[in-house]
Amino acid sequence: MTLRTDHVAGGVLAAFGLLVLALSGDLPVGSLSFPGAGMMPKLLASLLIAFGLMLVLRAGDSAPLADISWQDLPHALRVTTITALAVALYQTGGFLLTMTLLLFVLIFGVERRGLVPAAAFSLGVVALTYLLFAVALKTPLEQGVFGF
Amino acid sequence: MESLLLGFSVALQPGVLWYAFLGCLVGTVVGVLPGIGPLSGISILLPATFGLDTTKSVVMLAGIYYGSQYGGSTTSILMRIPGEASSVMTCIDGYAMAQKGRAGAALCIAAVGSWIAGTFGVIMLTLIAPPLASFALRFGPPEYTALLVLGLIFLAYMSSTSLPRTLVMACLGILLGTIGIDNMTGHFRYSFDIAELGDGIGIVPVAVGLFGLGEILSTPSATAVRDVIAPRLRQLLPNREEWRESAMPIARGSVLGFLIGLMPGSAHIISSFLSYAVERRFSRHPEQFGKGAVAGVAGPESANNAASTGAFVPMLALGLPTGPITAVLLAALMIHGVPPGPTLVNEHPDIFWGFVASMYVGNLMLLALNLPLVGIFVNVLRIPYSYLYPLVIMFCIIGVYEVNHSIVDVWIMLIMGVIGYGMRKFGLDPAPLVLGLVISPTLEMSLRQSLIMSNGNWAIFFQRPIAVALLVICAGLLLLAVLSLVRSRRDWRSRLAEAEAGDSS
Repeated sequence: MTLRTDHVAGGVLAAFGLLVLALSGDLPVGSLSFPGAGMMPKLLASLLIAFGLMLVLRAGDSAPLADISWQDLPHALRVTTITALAVALYQTGGFLLTMTLLLFVLIFGVERRGLVPAAAFSLGVVALTYLLFAVALKTPLEQGVFGF
Repeated sequence: MESLLLGFSVALQPGVLWYAFLGCLVGTVVGVLPGIGPLSGISILLPATFGLDTTKSVVMLAGIYYGSQYGGSTTSILMRIPGEASSVMTCIDGYAMAQKGRAGAALCIAAVGSWIAGTFGVIMLTLIAPPLASFALRFGPPEYTALLVLGLIFLAYMSSTSLPRTLVMACLGILLGTIGIDNMTGHFRYSFDIAELGDGIGIVPVAVGLFGLGEILSTPSATAVRDVIAPRLRQLLPNREEWRESAMPIARGSVLGFLIGLMPGSAHIISSFLSYAVERRFSRHPEQFGKGAVAGVAGPESANNAASTGAFVPMLALGLPTGPITAVLLAALMIHGVPPGPTLVNEHPDIFWGFVASMYVGNLMLLALNLPLVGIFVNVLRIPYSYLYPLVIMFCIIGVYEVNHSIVDVWIMLIMGVIGYGMRKFGLDPAPLVLGLVISPTLEMSLRQSLIMSNGNWAIFFQRPIAVALLVICAGLLLLAVLSLVRSRRDWRSRLAEAEAGDSS
């Protein structure tokens, strides 16, 4: 049997539904005349399992799993990792420092652009954005522990 | 008429005019740039509206939405790259016209068609929304439950992917919407002792993650190649024959687009596809389609603009979003303390009518912006993608963080970005998920209230005429969808899916 995209997608979604049901143990379902906090999530988790299984059963219409191209995965992983590091640093480093670093690392490190253009672009764009938000739009941006 | 005059007195204030212009300008740029949709644009700029009053905020954000529909045609015609998903059909004949040296005429027809359709849509919005809102005041919890279920079923039926795929995504969205404190009993649900999750998952981090970041992750910079042609100003005017050929397609596209815009789903995308099919059917020379037919540009471009205006009718009159973009606009209203829905027209007439009047003005601004300045907008495309996407990521982070000053929201956005990347790989549409998330609190509340009202008797949904009528439509749509599922019949939805897939490859 050829493994298809809907086999995987349906399986994952059905498994997620089961996980939600397992995590909903302490939520009261209540009664029909007074539904509790657990009624809707449990109903939806059951529907998720049902539709997930329906996807698996009808997976013949979907593309073979092997047809999915993962060529962009390394790039996506690099971008995700760098963005995650920036998010982790954001409240400590503040907008100016973190965003300059984020742009510079993505342009110079990931995209292999020149050092000077990458640095100039990062500094220029971050400064302009800061002026736009903090000065023109009066929306304060995160300052971080360094106070800028 | 008095109400509309009140609206114009608000919309023509210099401050409101400025924000309408800003929205239209940003919307056009967002539409021109492939990979950045109106949803990302609106979500990113949402925090920038916190310091503004409600009218200015909504006018600016809506300007981004309908401005992007104008801008999307530019890249479709000049580069065969749809700046917006709704401009996919314009690529076919718009680019063919450009290859024949008629790029300027194609751009002009697209802009004029968009303006006529947009203005027609606003006139219809002016006429339909207030009486619909008055009618919706009769709605109680059972009617709202039935209406929201109908919205979901309609979305599933109109979707270009299969019924189970759409419904499973909608279920997932509604399930995510149950996270946080239960309003009726005070129970914490799936918050895992994270205080920020007590308020639930926001629409903005989910929408920006799935649509903005997800798109960036699945677009390697090496594949984004740009070859830009900028037409000169004097080449913009179509000849008499082209004007004549575009008149009826613009009229048909306007009506068709507006009607489809009222329905849940990706109306602006579906409307352009259907308009293209209709024009081909009506044409005396269908063989010219694909080779630079004027109707192939005029119809779809008019339809997608009319649809984006039509989507405001259920949003403003019923408080019901028909897609993720109107959902974020609803969120913007709520952030400013204005409850959307039937009471908006009566309790906040300045906001409602000011918004409607600003759309008349905005459409004129877009016409003035898009034609003479097309050369400038095209230059935006010269920014290499390797510089552009880090910029978008930065705006995604700021946009999401500034809504609640919550880093948890930014983590949610990042996780949703990764999920969005995975969903694209497996052909799952993220739009029903976002719509499910938006309607989740209202759906759950109205369903539970209905059951409490009836002492647990499901028959309440069949005892009230409006609810019954809505549920009968639901049953009819489900039946139609199941029939086509069983017969595996190829209809316009499968052809739409093929067109979208063909474009993305």
